[in-house]
Amino acid sequence: MFENPILPRGMRPDRGLAPGGARPERVTVMQGQALVSNDPNVEFSTVLGSCVALCLFDPEARLGGMNHFLLAEPPANSSVSTVDEYYGTYLMELLVNQMLAKGARKAHLRAHLYGGANVNRNMMRIGSANAEFARDFVAREGIELLRSDLGGGNARRVDFRPASGQVRCRTVEDRFAPPVQPTTRPAKATGDVELF
Amino acid sequence: MTTTTRILTVDDSPSMRALLNHALTTQGFDVAQAEDGMAALDWLALNEVDVVITDINMPRLDGFGLIERLREGSRHRDRPILVLTTESSEEKKARARAAGATGWIVKPFDPAKLVAAVRRVAH
Repeated sequence: MFENPILPRGMRPDRGLAPGGARPERVTVMQGQALVSNDPNVEFSTVLGSCVALCLFDPEARLGGMNHFLLAEPPANSSVSTVDEYYGTYLMELLVNQMLAKGARKAHLRAHLYGGANVNRNMMRIGSANAEFARDFVAREGIELLRSDLGGGNARRVDFRPASGQVRCRTVEDRFAPPVQPTTRPAKATGDVELF
Repeated sequence: MTTTTRILTVDDSPSMRALLNHALTTQGFDVAQAEDGMAALDWLALNEVDVVITDINMPRLDGFGLIERLREGSRHRDRPILVLTTESSEEKKARARAAGATGWIVKPFDPAKLVAAVRRVAH
């Protein structure tokens, strides 16, 4: 049963999302990805241990997006925070820009946040730091956070129907959340400068 | 006698503006912020600046429009304008260059490279 749709109070989600009662097409959102869709047949799905997923939904455009990330320690020459905020902000901006490019308006965006569990004692700090980064990002951007399920000790499975904003979050056994390494900046993403 | 280099950062993301502000003020630059191209034009009508750093995708007036408007008049015709963007297409880079941008920087930006670029174009 899907609960907690990302909708303003008083607005009801569509039921029977897949036409003809067909099962939705499940699309797995992998670490490092950001996917956006307005297709009622699509369901984004991901399993999170220490990773964090941001779900965005524009209830007027009926459009949603999800990302999945685990930020690494910042570069040695940075003193900004315990995670690479420069890369993290870039990843978040990619999701927001995809939403806006498909017709969403930033003022309409609603958010859910999931993940950041302390499933691995050695990665406890990085999981918590990622959850904190995500919370701070949503707050700084002025995006209304309707629900967050962050931290704790269990992995989570998140299913998100982007065209309706419905989200289902369940705890799962940790073995379903394969060990992952934080995403570091790709070698080409080094902020190269080209002067004309 | 040295004077502080003044920079206007234009980006609709408060998070990105905060990162830019941190990266630049810690290196001694004087930083002002605008949330889109229109806000930048309003600010520039009343203030002087040495370098403009602008995003491309913004509401109301995007980065291309901002560059074109600044190059139309005589006051900012030679002002260094650096584009800082998630865009990676050659077509958009060429469009920014044709509009009169001074440089193109791809996010996620490296603070040291950004600062070096600002120092290079500011003089």
